Amino acid sequence: MSSNKKSPYVSFLGSQNFRLRIVLSTLSGKPIKIEKIRSTDLNPGLKDYEISFLRLMESVTNGSQIEISYTGTTVIYRPGIIVGGSHTHNCPPSKPVGYFVEPLLYLAPFSKKKFSIVLRGITSSHNDAGVEAIKWGLLPILEKFGVRECALHTLKRGSPPLGGGEVHLVVDTLLAQPITIHELERPMINAIKGVSYSTRVSPSLVNRMIDGAKKVLKNVGCQVNITADVWRGENSGKSPGWGITLIGETKKGWCYLAEAIGDSGAIPEEVGEMVAYHLLEEIESSGAIGRTQLPLAITFMVIGKEDIGRLRIAKAEIDERFVVLLRDIKTIFGTEVLLKEVDDSSDHSDDYIVTIKGNGFTNSNKKIA
Amino acid sequence: LQANKTKRRRKWDIGKLIYMNNIEPQDCIKRWKGEDEDDENEDESDIENEEQDFFTKKAGITDQSKETFNDLEKFVPYFEKMEKLVEKWKTFDSINDRFIGASMKSKKES
Repeated sequence: MSSNKKSPYVSFLGSQNFRLRIVLSTLSGKPIKIEKIRSTDLNPGLKDYEISFLRLMESVTNGSQIEISYTGTTVIYRPGIIVGGSHTHNCPPSKPVGYFVEPLLYLAPFSKKKFSIVLRGITSSHNDAGVEAIKWGLLPILEKFGVRECALHTLKRGSPPLGGGEVHLVVDTLLAQPITIHELERPMINAIKGVSYSTRVSPSLVNRMIDGAKKVLKNVGCQVNITADVWRGENSGKSPGWGITLIGETKKGWCYLAEAIGDSGAIPEEVGEMVAYHLLEEIESSGAIGRTQLPLAITFMVIGKEDIGRLRIAKAEIDERFVVLLRDIKTIFGTEVLLKEVDDSSDHSDDYIVTIKGNGFTNSNKKIA
Repeated sequence: LQANKTKRRRKWDIGKLIYMNNIEPQDCIKRWKGEDEDDENEDESDIENEEQDFFTKKAGITDQSKETFNDLEKFVPYFEKMEKLVEKWKTFDSINDRFIGASMKSKKES
């Protein structure tokens, strides 16, 4: 009542980066207020999947308070502590399980109890992370930061629109702090691997996708190994569907990733080819890690111990998404990132080194001696 | 903001631009890459320069995409249209040095 000068909340505008903002708020312990969420839209306010995400946050934390305005365009979130535990979450049909698993990865290592969360719903989509993308693309990033025991099990696959899939996220590593990383080289790719999967359709589609991808990657100069993964019966969800995920694997443990799913009427060979081209693009436009992995890596570097972490990124990775990521991090943590051009004349690249000083975040559930 | 209006192209430091909150993210990237607002025929000039093309064109597609591409809610990043990709990846020269086997092969050839 006495000093109302400073708002008790960190404020944001708009619906963008919704999950990241909630996650950063939870990690930092700072309450946030998000205003004007789709305020000019025909359907203003939070979407059902965002509400569902907030519910999930409520269940993995203790003491979180969420206030949503009458129109749904303003949210106040006061984070509690991350407790984790065993939960089951039914995802709405509007978003796949990947949408919910992704933010959980940021929180799980800093929990009080181990994370063991079963998520039911759609397991693949056009815009969100698929099961393989998380398993092969994001979990290796966590591993680099010291989270070694984490896994995502696919119990059932469920293609859109009806879903019926089920995945189990298990994170057994509980950290006080993520370790600092230094990656100043572009890691060399030694193999391309992938999986071509289908639910409730003819297995020939899977092989046709593989053929398409292999045709593109024929002369790439390394082994290409794509597995066929056909799901039938009970465990294959309620809708027919198919998709392919490809990764470029490196000896160092980093990897590059591309994935897509097929719509009804799409030609499997073309989807396979498209993903192969996307993988090539992703390799070209990546430094040590791909664009989809950048937010997770940068966030963990920011909350790392008070030490300098360095990561090589490509010029192409500095895009709008990168700018909004860094702005949100600064708004909540106050941490600025330093970008320096690589001045190594031997490998005529225009890569940059991101240098971040960790803010010394400590897991409030773990006491450090 | 006045620098934008001057004809002379100023070289921006991306490290600073990122934290200038008054500049929209897409404008940050444009200024940094030296593509000012005034060159309207972006799409044509871009075809010559594949690399720059990669990120600048997206603002021009539709208003809808403008919003989604600076939003981390969307997992899958921006990719070019298929036709362009097919054209671009007829050879793997640009990424040859990224593969263990291929780099040795190309060294032998050169």
